[in-house]
Amino acid sequence: MSTRIFIKAALLLGLAMPLAAPALAQGGGDVRTKLAAYKHRVTLLEDQDAVENLQATFGYYFDKGLWNQAAALFASKGSFEYGQRGVYVGSARIQQAMLLFGPQGLANGRLNNHMMLQPIITVAPNGQTAVGRFQGMVMLAEPGQNGKWGVGLYENEYVKEGGTWKIAKLHFYMTALTDYDLGFAKYAIQMEGPSALFPPDRPPTEVYRSFPNAYLPAFSYDHPVTGQPLKTLPLQGDEIVGRPDRGMDTGKREESSAAKGMRQQ
Amino acid sequence: MMTRTHFAAALLAASALIGAAPALAQSSAEKLEDLDKRITRLEDLNAIERLQRAYGYFVDKSQWVPLSELFTDDATLEIGGKGLFLGKKRVLEYMQKAFGMDGTKAGSLANHMQFQTVPDISADGKSGWIRSRAFVMSNGGWGLPLYENEYRKENGVWKISRLTGPFTMYTGWEGWGKWAMNNTWPDKFDPPPDLPPSTVYLTYPAYYIIPYHYPNPVTGKAFPILKSDIGAHAGVPGSKVQEEWAKTGRVVDGTQPIGEPPKE
Repeated sequence: MSTRIFIKAALLLGLAMPLAAPALAQGGGDVRTKLAAYKHRVTLLEDQDAVENLQATFGYYFDKGLWNQAAALFASKGSFEYGQRGVYVGSARIQQAMLLFGPQGLANGRLNNHMMLQPIITVAPNGQTAVGRFQGMVMLAEPGQNGKWGVGLYENEYVKEGGTWKIAKLHFYMTALTDYDLGFAKYAIQMEGPSALFPPDRPPTEVYRSFPNAYLPAFSYDHPVTGQPLKTLPLQGDEIVGRPDRGMDTGKREESSAAKGMRQQ
Repeated sequence: MMTRTHFAAALLAASALIGAAPALAQSSAEKLEDLDKRITRLEDLNAIERLQRAYGYFVDKSQWVPLSELFTDDATLEIGGKGLFLGKKRVLEYMQKAFGMDGTKAGSLANHMQFQTVPDISADGKSGWIRSRAFVMSNGGWGLPLYENEYRKENGVWKISRLTGPFTMYTGWEGWGKWAMNNTWPDKFDPPPDLPPSTVYLTYPAYYIIPYHYPNPVTGKAFPILKSDIGAHAGVPGSKVQEEWAKTGRVVDGTQPIGEPPKE
């Protein structure tokens, strides 16, 4: 830590004045080390907070079709990927990708709610990048169609540029989408593929099918207690996609006792 | 948000000390210790919120082994009216027997979206509590569990030491205007619990309020949940059906004690 930063940190913590004289006598190095460590810890908390608000803000813009504002939240080479639509890179292309959800500002009869819930954000120790998982509940409507319920997961990346957090990579994994009235027990809508109107810059990074098919996006964080990575947890395969089972119990799959119990009432 | 407010308050407090009379001023070592405690508290609040969210993500995708590893060895788990499961091993057994073996499976959707956390940490920094909720969207329908959980810091790592998840409402896709499940109970499905439910109650259209681990933040006072605060409306208020039903199937003063509100 440079002297200038240290002084700034000390002033920030309101400790510089009272420390000046006694610090030399009782080992200023220890105090400096502590201050630096505290500043780092506080900065990480502030960074996490900023990233959480950034993602929440993206959601509020995206809900209302404010594509220009939403695209402005991305870093210069930031990318946007929604379901199986492919990857769009840079603000101009991201705005085009968003036009596939409706006109700028949306329009009558449209609902584009994407709730950003359950954040687990991990800021890198150097405070310059971060990753975040979010739960994404979705409620959609467009003229001439019935409403839709959906849910999925975000696994995003963020970068601090010039002291401001920006979205480096936004990836929404839609995992289930259905008709408002019918529900998941009766109906499932599959995701849209890459657009012919505004083709993506790159194909989807992961090819999968949503409900009733199984998918599990890798976790960006390690297990909070064991510290083990959560990249390859058990996941049923998909023969059409060509993905084999991973870590699944090989025994016969039976209906769970809870499912049976619930049906009985 | 919360983090920012608390940190701003900590800075203000630290700055204010500069002007204090020397006799009253904390030594620099004391100030540092105080700051360390405050930062640690924010980190701890953050850690238990993450823990609760991680629990939710594992539930969604039937990842029972890592889910059970979020718990202390002696943790208890009680969900709905199913009764109490004692210990990490039984938590795993409950999940695997009741909901099928580990792994994200085709045809299964059971998203337990976790939000609205109110976390607290004890003054000694060793225990924590959260009141929060899940909104369940599944292929079976909709559900509303609440949580009043307890957490413990073991060797610097936060774990869930008690999960208490009473249900508010569970219904099919058609919605609670048409039908609602009244609750689960010990023998509704396997495995049986180690202990019976700590509190017997019915869910929507009846209602039950699990006590709050924290006092009212404005009055600063903790309050009991009185029998008059909870009840049922099986029939028209004042009718005989309503009166009868209000007397059955619920005990407010459950045997499982809930965490003390933190005192600072």
